[in-house]
Amino acid sequence: MALVVPNPPEQPRRVKVYELRNNDWFDRGTGYCTGQVLNDEPHIQVKSEEEEDRLLLETRIVKDDGYQKQQETLIVWTEPNGTDMALSFQEPEGCAAIWDFVSHVQNRIMSLSSAVKLPKPELNILSSIENMMHTLTINTAGRDSLAKFIINEDYIPKLVPLLEMAEDMEMLPELFTLCRIMKIIILLNDSTIIEYIVTDEVAMGVVGILEYDPDFPTHKANHRSYLADNSRFKEVVPIDDPDIEKKIHQTYRLQYLKDVVLARILDDPTFSVLNSLIFFNQVDIVQHLQTNTNFLKALFDLFASDPLPPEEVQRRKHGVQFLQQCASIAKNLQGPSRSQLYQNLIQHGLFNVIEYALLNSDPATRIAGTEILVCMLDNDSGMMRNFIFKQIQDKTKPLTDTLIELLLTEQDLGVKAQVADAIKVLLDPSQTQPMEGLGKVSELMNSMTATRRPPDDMPNENFFSTYYDKSAKKLFKPLIDLEGRPPITFLSSNESALYTHLLELLCFFVRHHLFRNKYFILTENIAPRVAQLLSAKEKFVQLAALKFFRACVQLNDEFYNRQLIKNKLLEPILNIVIETMPKDNLLNSACLEFFEFIKREGIKLLITHLVDQCRDKLQSITYVDTFSSLMVKYEQLHDKTVPYSADEDTTPRNSVNGGKRWDGLKDLDAAEEEYFNGSDDDEEVEYSAVENSQKRIRTGGKAVLGASPSAGPAASIKSLVDYPDDDDVMDTEDAEGEPVKTDSGAANSVSAPPSDPGIENLNIASRASSVAADAPVEDTPSTPATDADDHVMAGSLPPTPDRLSEKRRREEEAEEDGMERLLRSTKKRSPSVGKKGGVNSPSSTGGGGGKKISISFASKGENAKGKKEEKEKEKEKEKEEQ
Amino acid sequence: MSDLDKAIEQLRQCRPIPELQVREICFKAREILIEEANVQIVDAPVTICGDIHGQFHDLMELFRVGGDCPDTNYLFMGDFVDRGFYSLESFLLLLCLKVRYPDRITLIRGNHESRQITTVYGFYDECIRKYGSANVWRYCCDVFDYLALGALVIGAGTSVQPTRSADGEDVETKVREAEDEVEIEVIGLGGVVTRQMLRREAGMINSTNLTPSALPHLSSSGPAGPLLTGIPGTGASGNSRGIATPNNAPANTGGAVLCVHGGLSPLIDSVDKIRLLDRKQEVPHDGAMCDLLWSDPEEIDGWGLSPRGAGFLFGSDIVKQFNHLNNLTLIARAHQLVMEGFKEMFDSSIVTVWSAPNYCYRCGNVAAILELGEDNSNAVLRSGGEEVLFNRENTRRLASTYMGGSMKRGGPGRRYRVFEAAAQDSRGMPSKKPMPYYFL
Repeated sequence: MALVVPNPPEQPRRVKVYELRNNDWFDRGTGYCTGQVLNDEPHIQVKSEEEEDRLLLETRIVKDDGYQKQQETLIVWTEPNGTDMALSFQEPEGCAAIWDFVSHVQNRIMSLSSAVKLPKPELNILSSIENMMHTLTINTAGRDSLAKFIINEDYIPKLVPLLEMAEDMEMLPELFTLCRIMKIIILLNDSTIIEYIVTDEVAMGVVGILEYDPDFPTHKANHRSYLADNSRFKEVVPIDDPDIEKKIHQTYRLQYLKDVVLARILDDPTFSVLNSLIFFNQVDIVQHLQTNTNFLKALFDLFASDPLPPEEVQRRKHGVQFLQQCASIAKNLQGPSRSQLYQNLIQHGLFNVIEYALLNSDPATRIAGTEILVCMLDNDSGMMRNFIFKQIQDKTKPLTDTLIELLLTEQDLGVKAQVADAIKVLLDPSQTQPMEGLGKVSELMNSMTATRRPPDDMPNENFFSTYYDKSAKKLFKPLIDLEGRPPITFLSSNESALYTHLLELLCFFVRHHLFRNKYFILTENIAPRVAQLLSAKEKFVQLAALKFFRACVQLNDEFYNRQLIKNKLLEPILNIVIETMPKDNLLNSACLEFFEFIKREGIKLLITHLVDQCRDKLQSITYVDTFSSLMVKYEQLHDKTVPYSADEDTTPRNSVNGGKRWDGLKDLDAAEEEYFNGSDDDEEVEYSAVENSQKRIRTGGKAVLGASPSAGPAASIKSLVDYPDDDDVMDTEDAEGEPVKTDSGAANSVSAPPSDPGIENLNIASRASSVAADAPVEDTPSTPATDADDHVMAGSLPPTPDRLSEKRRREEEAEEDGMERLLRSTKKRSPSVGKKGGVNSPSSTGGGGGKKISISFASKGENAKGKKEEKEKEKEKEKEEQ
Repeated sequence: MSDLDKAIEQLRQCRPIPELQVREICFKAREILIEEANVQIVDAPVTICGDIHGQFHDLMELFRVGGDCPDTNYLFMGDFVDRGFYSLESFLLLLCLKVRYPDRITLIRGNHESRQITTVYGFYDECIRKYGSANVWRYCCDVFDYLALGALVIGAGTSVQPTRSADGEDVETKVREAEDEVEIEVIGLGGVVTRQMLRREAGMINSTNLTPSALPHLSSSGPAGPLLTGIPGTGASGNSRGIATPNNAPANTGGAVLCVHGGLSPLIDSVDKIRLLDRKQEVPHDGAMCDLLWSDPEEIDGWGLSPRGAGFLFGSDIVKQFNHLNNLTLIARAHQLVMEGFKEMFDSSIVTVWSAPNYCYRCGNVAAILELGEDNSNAVLRSGGEEVLFNRENTRRLASTYMGGSMKRGGPGRRYRVFEAAAQDSRGMPSKKPMPYYFL
């Protein structure tokens, strides 16, 4: 075998050559030393500096470990004939270069000479083979050469027959040794070997050998019989390409190896090799199938025949599951190829299949259908909305309505939950673009801005307005129908699940669909209906209802606050406190948190209302100090002589409940902060249709943009802060609110770098997620299931074009500006910007967050964004730990 | 035999129960858990356990070593799922026991009881593999949201009944007089008492860490504190504090032990603050709730950034002050692998308990559980009734009075039982369940 030595040190180095004669070092002369490979053998040569043709030294580097480097400039060794030699270099660099050469060659020789030969496997010498392998695996070079040897010499096929022999003779110790040998071979972590062991040729033999695990001497696994069972492979439509079919089986075996056979012994590198092999196979398979028109046609034709022949029912079910598996594999694909896949599938009629699946009588099929749907939404919800919008134009029943009906009528609670998730994603205004490769912040930023579609994105726009015009009423009908119902006493599990989902959706809309949802809540008088559920017997329903009100106050939005006051909805919540106290249950804590928030934020309207209406009740609750401090706050708010101080309320305990962070602990990522501020602006745009309409319009970023469209944010800050405020009442309020807000805003932005909960104290731990870098599984654990809150992003919708009052139009402009600005602005803006929430004309608008920032909401959005990045970080972290 | 008992039986054999039954149990568990406080009050005696991580057979070993539920009261400090191959069976068994014996077993939330984490670290995949859909995972995640964030063990005695070794001799125990009390006892592998620490010695020997491998020694904690008549950590604690108890007074109670998965939070300076959280949510990425589940103690001063990316590191000053302010004698937490199964830090003011032996089937660690004995000498602890429990007004005043004093308090008597991974034979070959069938 050739000895490859990269770059032998050909540059001559000045050196003195010594030879030990009679215990004395004899100077053989001074010359120039080089390392060379002559006839495939490594040599050290020294040419005399006086006579170029004379060689002072010419020696072949041998395997024996006789070479030593002493001090910086000496190399000493013993020639094969027993002579001790020394080279004394003039420069340490020269010595180092030659020494590198020597040690490299020696390593090489070591590994080659020892690995090259293993005896042909026989039962009686298995243990010595195992020992030899063990010795080889100690260093990397040994492992490499062992791996090469095993491949070149077809060693595995030579091992496999021994299994049957040993089994026949019931030679248990040999079987164990065989298994150990196979484990050594697999853990060499050579992808060629691993690819090879799942081929038809040896797969059964290999897993057979692994059945005899010496760690479990009394157990024998049955891998062979499991894998041999071909019925596990469901071939819905014949795959005519034998190579691809082989690949499918091999991929399954790889997964089986990963999950079952090797699950316990896998180390991280082998785990990622397995994962990337699986990934590349899957890419190949999906790539092949989606370009195979005949195959796709045959697949989708399954769903075409109507009426359905009974014998086809099972095949259709499998067809849906097949597509579901495609979709879950697609999560790992790169963005463009994933979109390509969906394009191909859609062309052949994927939407029909989804509809079919959603309306199927079999819950498993419905689940598969919703899962495909959620995958597609995750991929590109804009595409889905376009499709639905087209349905609307074609006057066919839009998918949204199908989903809504399903949510309302579904009996399987699992499907119901998933449908609720799907609706949420579908109506998530921030989910418009797939996010890809968020390794870098710049990319993250790109995709963040990309997810905010320009306002002229008509299909999305129309989609949302149709939803609110038509579908929302259907969706929330069960809530609306509560009107006039006697106090709710009994709810079936189905009903309570439904109400919970509806309330969760409603919370989501409160946070994300600012304008339309407000209008909807107002016209349908939703708030009092939700309040009816506060008296449900089931505490989790009460809790869900409470969460709605909590989401409302979170926005600190006058519209919602007035809704709560007008309908006297704080009192029922207070009543829950009184009913549950002093029992410290979850409901009680959640209520306390609600009032703590109002107190902390100093929401004047609510505090005033609360104290005016329920002073006695407040006074009666003494087991916590929340309510007495509320009354103190009330006094402060109404006593103009005492200047309001924000002292205690700005201390960290403010943030006890919120998703807020300690100041100064983490560095702020400018990009992320910008994102925060940007979204704040969007939320800032307020729709206050009702009582005091004209006076209290908040028109977010307009003034900022108008004043200095391209100037940096610093300019905006200045103009904002300095702008004289002419609304006295609001002014007071603002002044009060500001310090608190500033604080929490700052705290919030400090938290901006996505936290990384994935990191564990053990790096082994990382296995579940440690996938080779080229096999991104980021999405895998995905989302159909995750709490949709994780996907939540800050953002608001462009208003409907059909309700354009003057005021509305202004808001709309303002909002567009806000978005524009978000796209443009690159610099950090102070979180305290725009404390003036209550400015009353567009031109004098305060831009930023102040009172209007919804903090936890923003940070959630950030989380969703950061999710991928997080995982990236996580991987890095794990690498570091290793 | 009720359906529930049948389900428990089936799960004890490590066989999953049908999806519909999982749903029923999760609903029932939700009803029970929603009634629990964020910091659930638990009476001693109780056995405190750390991370389980889906190592079902080792959980069974735990029950074998610590006594079966409901014969022994248990408190599990979270991280039931992920990593191991039987997260589902482990969590469902614990949940069934919770539904069956709500007062006998307490489950609090760990950082792995979260949607986001379980999708990455195995529980999600396991549910998909075992049921073919994510439904069961959803039901379980819903339950996670209702789990308490911590627990407060009250009424623990200052000593544990000394255990006699199998051969009847006390190990490493000097001549013991009748009145000596055993503050710490370690029962090593095979049920052998490897160490007993007397309270008297405890006051005299100074050290920082107690680990099973260390020589016999103990913290500088002095004699136990004064009589408490309420629950420490609530306003009722120390109602009798006005009467100064002499330093050398015999201990009546081991004080309160706060149990939480991760540790402390800079946003939480009192146990009462935890009660003001709305815990019904996915574990956030920051904030108090996150910190409680993610933080770690560390040899630093004050607070530090956590390398985990969530939660904080906190030093001994933080722990001691927190314990002092809240009248706690000990914080028990899990969350970090300790090779010896348990590790006391900061003069025994905090202990990490780890209950997953041979973690991930290859870490080679032993596991431990912590038993807190009953306080026999003072049975009136909760006689004040519930009203007293929430009389928080006094907390701050009393705490500050107490702060000024130089009194040191000993921890509760504690017995650590160390155990190894279940024998290979008893568990069969650990492996994940393969996908039932495949299309691609």
